[in-house]
Amino acid sequence: MIGKLLTSDFLKIKRKGLWFLTALGPIGVVALQMVNYGIRRDYLLEQSEDDWGYYLLNVHSFTPLAIVLGIAILTSFIASIENETNAWKQLIALPVSKLTVYLSKFTVLAILLFLSSTILMLMTLAYGVFLDLGDSTPYMEIAKFAYYPFFASLPILALQLWIASVCHNQGIPITVGIFGVIFAYSSFVLPDWMIWKWPSLMNQWDEPVINVMLGVGIGILLYIIGMIDFARRDVK
Amino acid sequence: MGSILSAEWFKLRKSKMVPLIFAGPIIGLFIGLTSNLESNTQGLDVNHWYISLFSMNLTYALLFLPLIAGVFASVICRYEHQSGGWKQLLALPVTRGRVFVAKYILIMILMMAMQLLYLCSIFAVGMMKGYSDPFPMEIVWKSIVGGWVATLPLVALQLWMSIMFKSFAAPFAVNVIFTLPSILAINSKTIGPYYPWAQPFSMMYIGGNSDDAFFVPWDQLLTVVGGGFVLFFLGGYLYFQRKAV
Repeated sequence: MIGKLLTSDFLKIKRKGLWFLTALGPIGVVALQMVNYGIRRDYLLEQSEDDWGYYLLNVHSFTPLAIVLGIAILTSFIASIENETNAWKQLIALPVSKLTVYLSKFTVLAILLFLSSTILMLMTLAYGVFLDLGDSTPYMEIAKFAYYPFFASLPILALQLWIASVCHNQGIPITVGIFGVIFAYSSFVLPDWMIWKWPSLMNQWDEPVINVMLGVGIGILLYIIGMIDFARRDVK
Repeated sequence: MGSILSAEWFKLRKSKMVPLIFAGPIIGLFIGLTSNLESNTQGLDVNHWYISLFSMNLTYALLFLPLIAGVFASVICRYEHQSGGWKQLLALPVTRGRVFVAKYILIMILMMAMQLLYLCSIFAVGMMKGYSDPFPMEIVWKSIVGGWVATLPLVALQLWMSIMFKSFAAPFAVNVIFTLPSILAINSKTIGPYYPWAQPFSMMYIGGNSDDAFFVPWDQLLTVVGGGFVLFFLGGYLYFQRKAV
């Protein structure tokens, strides 16, 4: 059942611009560094001995913002595909459970985000090699900076999907997304328990892997809460 | 014109989204109370208000103001996008041009209200932190009104996009694509002054040159903000004239 739902959800997002945005996010993040390094390359290379590390930090300064806003956009898109034509009713009237409907939406979004992270990894690597930042390419670090924020942002995905699918007025989830990006932008002053801080991979122990584990754990929890709430509500 | 405006206001009020203007002061309070620049500037002889204003205006004008402007534009068009609202509205004896102008004016009034509430939040942050320095009224006014002026072109573009797209996410995506690069643009002396989405920051940045009426030179204000406004407003206006409803 979930396979068929997934197929139909992928069909629904065709030609809506979601694939385009999924690719644009990571490309944009690296493109900003292309501009940054293109304009003041010499200055930036002087800043640190570890050119690769400094380059990765520069890329990573935009990743959390792009992820938080990207999640808000994609979740709202997915929800408004059903909202606009009042399709929730027709979808729920099919012989599928509401829980699987919700699971399928979440899975589609998670796949899109995962794809985004993969593109980010490849783009970061490609431009880094192009910049000629030194001989020892830190493949593990590049992969970490691409996939850790993905796992750390799962709670935000679960929360935004929950809000977007239960609110009829999409202004509310979008506003929550804006608050999210303000939090992500000022994550260095946030306490560790705020989920918007996690994609930045900062915490008081300086162990990014904690954010990944928290992200997966709390992400599943928020997902279950959202799913149960979605299933209990009446479809208008 | 007046009756279209009041009709727009009525629709907005009933959509229960007016409290959105409180997002501005909430963000202001959040940034103001979490920043602790005071510890870095201990001993320096500066007006304490400036320290708060620096950190508050940075995040508020750089990311929040351009993004929330788009949400207001989408909220204003939401009613019409649902089940043929455009048809009903334009079947009335109103011209499309006036509808467009009325929607634009209403968004700008809301933005002004939000800016004023943000001013209150600056004041509240100072009160809570117990500043005793004189309140820099002139500078604050400049940045409040300046930030508002800088959103004129952004709101025009967002209104255009919101009329074009049915969903909230699409105009918001356009907004995000243009707003995020301004984080880099403000660092550059060559790009920053010409990037329309970086203008709210430049206009609210209290360290700028304050001899002019605002914190940016008049020619920059007129060409970038004024030019952007004319371009986006006319684009949206003409698009709406031709749009099939």
